[in-house]
Amino acid sequence: MANFIPAGDGGHTGWRAAAQKIGGNLAGMVIPNIGAFIAWGLLTALFIPTGWLPNEELGSMVGPMIVNLLPILIGYTGGRMVHGQRGAVIGAVATVGVIVGASIPMFLGAMLIGPLAAWILKKIDAVLDPVTPPGFEMLIGNFSLGISGLLMAILGFLGIGPVVNAFSDTLGAGVKALVDTGLLPLASILIEPAKILFLNNAINYGVLAPLGVAQVEEAGKSIMFMLESNPGPGLGILVAVWLAAGSKVLRGSAPGAIVIHFLGGIHEIYFPYVLMKPILVLAAIAGGATGVATFLVTGVGVVATPAPGSIFAYLAVTPPGNHFGVLLGILLSATVSFLVAFVILKASKDGDDDLEAAKAKSKAMKTGGAE
Amino acid sequence: MASISGADVKHIVVACEAGMGSSVMVARMLAKQLKANGVEVTHSPVNQLADTTHDVVLVHRGLSQRAKQAVPDSLVIIFDMFLGDMRIAQLVNEIQEGHEISDD
Repeated sequence: MANFIPAGDGGHTGWRAAAQKIGGNLAGMVIPNIGAFIAWGLLTALFIPTGWLPNEELGSMVGPMIVNLLPILIGYTGGRMVHGQRGAVIGAVATVGVIVGASIPMFLGAMLIGPLAAWILKKIDAVLDPVTPPGFEMLIGNFSLGISGLLMAILGFLGIGPVVNAFSDTLGAGVKALVDTGLLPLASILIEPAKILFLNNAINYGVLAPLGVAQVEEAGKSIMFMLESNPGPGLGILVAVWLAAGSKVLRGSAPGAIVIHFLGGIHEIYFPYVLMKPILVLAAIAGGATGVATFLVTGVGVVATPAPGSIFAYLAVTPPGNHFGVLLGILLSATVSFLVAFVILKASKDGDDDLEAAKAKSKAMKTGGAE
Repeated sequence: MASISGADVKHIVVACEAGMGSSVMVARMLAKQLKANGVEVTHSPVNQLADTTHDVVLVHRGLSQRAKQAVPDSLVIIFDMFLGDMRIAQLVNEIQEGHEISDD
């Protein structure tokens, strides 16, 4: 199987780096705006009819924030990544086109048109800048952005909005089918290994968060936010490493890692332990699937993406009446992943566990692997 | 293969995916250890490394290829563990002793 794809610069790049790059760009548009998502999620949890403090007037902010503000922020940030402040402005302008051209929150559309509009403006600037007479920079700069922004908004309205709308409907229907048939826990088979390969942000913010937001708008909560961000599986692995790893160095670093992972929400900290002993990913999958199944059976969800994936963030975004299921799911997933990891570590303790062997293994898994 | 003398290192940038999570943590721990040596340690998303001022780039192995794509001419040091990493300990030592640092 081909494990690399040709890159434009004539070299080749690992599929993993490529996937990280695409996903990283998607995540890069969302992550700086997580604060706004949380503001919106808390607003929703508080003031919608089933919330903590139902309030129709304050609750009326929920709709405009999700439909307008959040996609515009994403389009703005996506534009800024491509072409600085001017890219950000045209990204925001163009995003309005896809928002109005569709009937659902347009995260995917914003992720497309924000960077695209900025890229086009970048090309236009590259042509106009050298020929702009001194003193006319502001005039030409403002109107080139204004006119191309207008055109991009129209393109978004007529072209991208409806297409993305249809695409999102299909995607949403697929997810709904997974939920309805109870197959959603199988998602962990993909998600947990992908996390370990540092695709965690790409999956959570690029794919799951937009799906989740659409669900919150309908149901007031979503399980989508919890598929990747559940700190349970990582916690179980770290506890197992602490109690059962062959190497003293690993055991010694585990307690600190547990605090940073579970309380601080930096999941990256447990990835190296799995990369050193890749079979531990089975523990993560088992734990993750257990958590998802528990969330599904108890019918719980959260109102915004718990970012970072710390237990405190989880408690903050859990709506009324959902705490039992959420905590139970995290606890069970930690327990299951601990048990699986513990057995794996105990079974393989003899001999091969010194740090150097582990490091060699992790090196063999090195990014790309196309050397 | 790039290299630099540990005594000349003034800026280290730690990169991670978002530049807001694990890199901040590693950067803060490293900054504490290198405070006396006048080394500034910052953090950055891996895809914005090219915009940073740095003598040394520090990145986890899982993102190392993207770091090398982002800053092909920089000295990129790769670590495996977020806590208690041997290569980071070695880097601190090389800077404190003014030894030659090279990527691997």
